[in-house]
Amino acid sequence: MTQTSAPTIATRNIGAASRKKKRDAAIYYLMGLPAALLFSIFYFVPFIANLRYSLTRWDRITDPEFVGMKNFVNLLTNDDLFFKVLGNNLRFTFLVVLFQTVFSLFFAILLVRNTKFNILLRTLYFFPTILSSVSVGMIWLYIYDPNYGALNLFFNRVGLEAFALNWLGSETSALYAIAFTQVWFHTGQMIVIYIAGLQQIPQELYEAAEMDGATRWQQFKNVTWPMSIPTTVVVMAYTTIQSFRAFDLIFSMTQGGPNNASSIFAVMIYQTVFNELRIGYAAAQSIFFVLVLVLITLLQRKVLGSGKER
Amino acid sequence: MNAKAFKALIAMAFAISATVVPISQSFAAGESLGKSCPTEGVMTGTKTTSLICVKGSNGKQTWQRVKLSAGGGRPVASLTPPKGEIEFWHYRPEVLDQKALVEIIANFEARYPGTKIKQVVKDTTTFNATARVQILNNPKAALFATSRGFVFDTFAKSDMMVDLSSQRYVKQNAIAKAMFAGVYEGKQLGVPYQYLFNNPIVNTDLWAKEKWTTPKNLTGWVAWCKDAKAKGYIPFAWPGATLGQAAQISNSALMNSASSYAELEKNLLDLNSGKTDLTTSWFKGVASIYVKLRDAGCFPENPTGVTQNAAYTMFATEKSPLLPIGTFAMGDIVALNKKLDGKMQLMSMILTDGPVVAEGIMNNTYILSVNKNSSSRDQKIANAFISYLMTGPVGQIYANTSLQHVNVLDVEYTNVNLLTTSSFQAKNTMLAPRFLLVNGSVSDLTQQALIAIVGGKSPDDVLPDFSKQIKQKLAA
Repeated sequence: MTQTSAPTIATRNIGAASRKKKRDAAIYYLMGLPAALLFSIFYFVPFIANLRYSLTRWDRITDPEFVGMKNFVNLLTNDDLFFKVLGNNLRFTFLVVLFQTVFSLFFAILLVRNTKFNILLRTLYFFPTILSSVSVGMIWLYIYDPNYGALNLFFNRVGLEAFALNWLGSETSALYAIAFTQVWFHTGQMIVIYIAGLQQIPQELYEAAEMDGATRWQQFKNVTWPMSIPTTVVVMAYTTIQSFRAFDLIFSMTQGGPNNASSIFAVMIYQTVFNELRIGYAAAQSIFFVLVLVLITLLQRKVLGSGKER
Repeated sequence: MNAKAFKALIAMAFAISATVVPISQSFAAGESLGKSCPTEGVMTGTKTTSLICVKGSNGKQTWQRVKLSAGGGRPVASLTPPKGEIEFWHYRPEVLDQKALVEIIANFEARYPGTKIKQVVKDTTTFNATARVQILNNPKAALFATSRGFVFDTFAKSDMMVDLSSQRYVKQNAIAKAMFAGVYEGKQLGVPYQYLFNNPIVNTDLWAKEKWTTPKNLTGWVAWCKDAKAKGYIPFAWPGATLGQAAQISNSALMNSASSYAELEKNLLDLNSGKTDLTTSWFKGVASIYVKLRDAGCFPENPTGVTQNAAYTMFATEKSPLLPIGTFAMGDIVALNKKLDGKMQLMSMILTDGPVVAEGIMNNTYILSVNKNSSSRDQKIANAFISYLMTGPVGQIYANTSLQHVNVLDVEYTNVNLLTTSSFQAKNTMLAPRFLLVNGSVSDLTQQALIAIVGGKSPDDVLPDFSKQIKQKLAA
């Protein structure tokens, strides 16, 4: 009769546990495989292809010609439009992120309680979000019309003629007019996200603050704002990405004009591909587009993240 | 007389009668060559030789014969397609165009059971941006239509169009001079279907009421703008915010900017290739036309913010007596104000005080082509459908329903707006020159420069700035 020693049993148990761990790991990898496949097909492969195209001159008619870093060099040294659009994009994003975040937080605080009236107002504020971007663009195109639009008719009616501008036709105001539309379009969506975040803040914190005699402003400063920073990070990151993708709104309102004053990266890339048939150059532009977007998002996370730590 | 000679005689007699009979049948009662006629533009149709009521050099309106065909013989019947189904890709989703095409396709399918044409319709912007690549990868898209200029040019460069030069319907069913727009490197790669007049259309009631006559030159137009503005009108309902339509008036500005069409063509091709830029004395001359019109108050308030819809509204509500856009806008105008049905007319816009090269602008577009990558059977169906569209009765359905003139012979226009504007076929018109800028960037930036000038900027600032932009685009 053989006797199994304690270390052997332990070794077997370890072996079985290790096999189970390996089996589980295989299952986990297998479960992730469909998503990984989809990601590879729709994101990774196009990303690699884009990198490859950015090193070529290609018009989608003749064969691509390898040009090395020429597209990148040209973008940085001989393309005024690129820098103009970069400036437009940063201004547009800054304005949209700032006002959309402030407005949505403000309205979310007002509408955080689940009363029937508040729910009705939330629905109303959310309503523009369900419209398509092109519809929103068309609506505001009519509102901004310099000769027949509701906005200028209003200003003229109340004696504020100086405010009746050529909103979308002027290089100085077109970008700001579209930024306002973008804020109007998406604030309702952000209100909902903020309300969900605000409703997670424990009521006891407000009760304690009230006990300590804190004013409404002090309650906001010391309770609401610190506790809503995680939501703010989400709102700002989402709004940033959204403002970089505002292609359809801009395209339906001004197509980037006049004189590219309202053009952003997405519009410029579209025009480089479809109006100018310069695929390689557009690929290089899109790499900068992603780099700027990543940089801004990292910066936001750093600023808000360090704020949270304090 | 031997049998061979007798047959030849019979054939000759038949040919003569076949050519003469349809013409004589096209005369309405009281209309005959050289006789006076009441309304300029009313015509008997676009037969191989047609009668059109035209004002002569003596100022008298008479019926005049206008030769439209290439003399390749009588129009031929449409080809018979094999059975099968193809896709027809194009860019005319407009209600009236769709009404016409649905009816025509239904008639075609009823005539040839087993043959189907499926429309794939996109708006112009989407079509221009995406259709070429999609059609290249889709052999079922055996038939497609492109617009003249950049789009036709890029499709042609992609080697995806069948050469239709030898088709009899091209030689015998079409207005000969209109086929030029479908030629690329000597081959007839497409059949331009629409015959458009680009600029401008006027409200005849308002012009009659104010007792205005057509200005004869740039000085005349400047004076007219001042007078119209003083009377409370917006002289030109110009849509500066809609690039494509804002550009229509540039055809008139370009039309007489050089001493001949050949010189103008050279200037534009040099600009297109980057050999010259917008600071040449020739283009400064074009820009100075815009400055004179701007300073005379021809354009609306806040011109760069006026959209196409707003411009149409200005014209349809009779706030403006002139729409610097083409005949293709008439359907939309009538939809906005039925009172203007039949009250619109084309006008010569001669924007020079020097020699006149052309009196008006026309364009041959909606160029129908057969996909080179389709199967032989599908190509036959596509070709047969084009030949069907190119027959008089079918062209007539398309023209009178869509309110577009067509390049098809033996079409009788019944729509009053088409009739009143047909006289321009007899005028000395120029094929819209702006489409010679086939580079999309050069074309857009050139138009943006002109729009900026109307918006109030000085050509001294605008032209070097946009020239630099063009140079950078071409360098990249």
